[in-house]
Amino acid sequence: MSWEPTLAHYLILSAAVFTIGMVGVLVRRNAIILFMSIELMLNSVNLSFIAFARYRVDLDGHIFAFFIMAVAAAEAAVALAIVLHVFRHKRGIEVDEMQELKH
Amino acid sequence: MGVEPLFFWIFAIGAIVTSLSVVVVRNPLYCALALVVDFFFFAGLYVLLSAHFLAVVQVLVYGGAIMVLFLFIIMLLNLRGDELGQMRFQLHTALAITAGVVLFFIAGGAILSATAPMDGEPPVEGTLVVQDDGSEVRVQEVRTSIPGLYLALDEQTLEEKYLEQIASWERGTSRPSDGKYPRFNPERTFEVPPSMQFDPEAASVVPGRSGLYGTFQPISALLVNRFVVPFELTALLLLAAIIGAVIIAKRRVT
Repeated sequence: MSWEPTLAHYLILSAAVFTIGMVGVLVRRNAIILFMSIELMLNSVNLSFIAFARYRVDLDGHIFAFFIMAVAAAEAAVALAIVLHVFRHKRGIEVDEMQELKH
Repeated sequence: MGVEPLFFWIFAIGAIVTSLSVVVVRNPLYCALALVVDFFFFAGLYVLLSAHFLAVVQVLVYGGAIMVLFLFIIMLLNLRGDELGQMRFQLHTALAITAGVVLFFIAGGAILSATAPMDGEPPVEGTLVVQDDGSEVRVQEVRTSIPGLYLALDEQTLEEKYLEQIASWERGTSRPSDGKYPRFNPERTFEVPPSMQFDPEAASVVPGRSGLYGTFQPISALLVNRFVVPFELTALLLLAAIIGAVIIAKRRVT
């Protein structure tokens, strides 16, 4: 590895952040932090899309990242509405306690 | 060596540190604040990757909209201390961390082997290459074995290659797939909004064409040509998300 950033640097950074997000999803039990970890994973995927786009001199990766951002925004809105709803019924947002579909 | 590597390492280390603190810190509010900083580091990385438009969108959408949602929910729920995520050390925590480390090493190994420089090409370490006559030449591009994929590509070469691509699409001599690329003409003057360029002789900012790759002109040309159907479907998705969020979060749907 060299000091100057190359494609491999960006991809390994992306893999590291994705791994951190995955461990967060597996370890944490607070639903809000779970969603934050999912956002981290989506961001790291965006980073590798953009890195590949730049080193292929192709803009398609930017379009993919753009759509991922739109989907992430929609997902965050719905997910936090669900968190709010669960909190009203259970007085807590620990995912271990969410075991039933009905309320 | 320019300042770009320095900024890359600042942003990269900052992104990893803030991502770790999102996962490790107990208080969700501090997690959210670490996540904001993380999004800004990512925006900086996008700028380094010449994705100017996406860097702006990242700050607006993630740093603005999504973070406001997270902070709003955290403060609305007013989580007490006993409800904060506790990091009790358990078997499944250890297993999850092990799985993460294993995944990282598998992915890293795959990346390193896939992006190894092609045989006969100068190695990545030699971005400064000594020629036969003793002079040093900076290598602008290092190819991989995958066609069209470069390992290292500096900013100027990127712009040149992108202009070459556009020119060949304009001439119709290069057509990767029919209808794949819009007929984007960089020479066409845009009335609104002109990109700004600094004119050193006049010592003022004049309308002009600065960097093309990753600016919003070619991206918008792609969005409303080749990707127009997904673009419109995004509007539908956002509408569905709005309605869904309202219905789920409402106390009683009448």
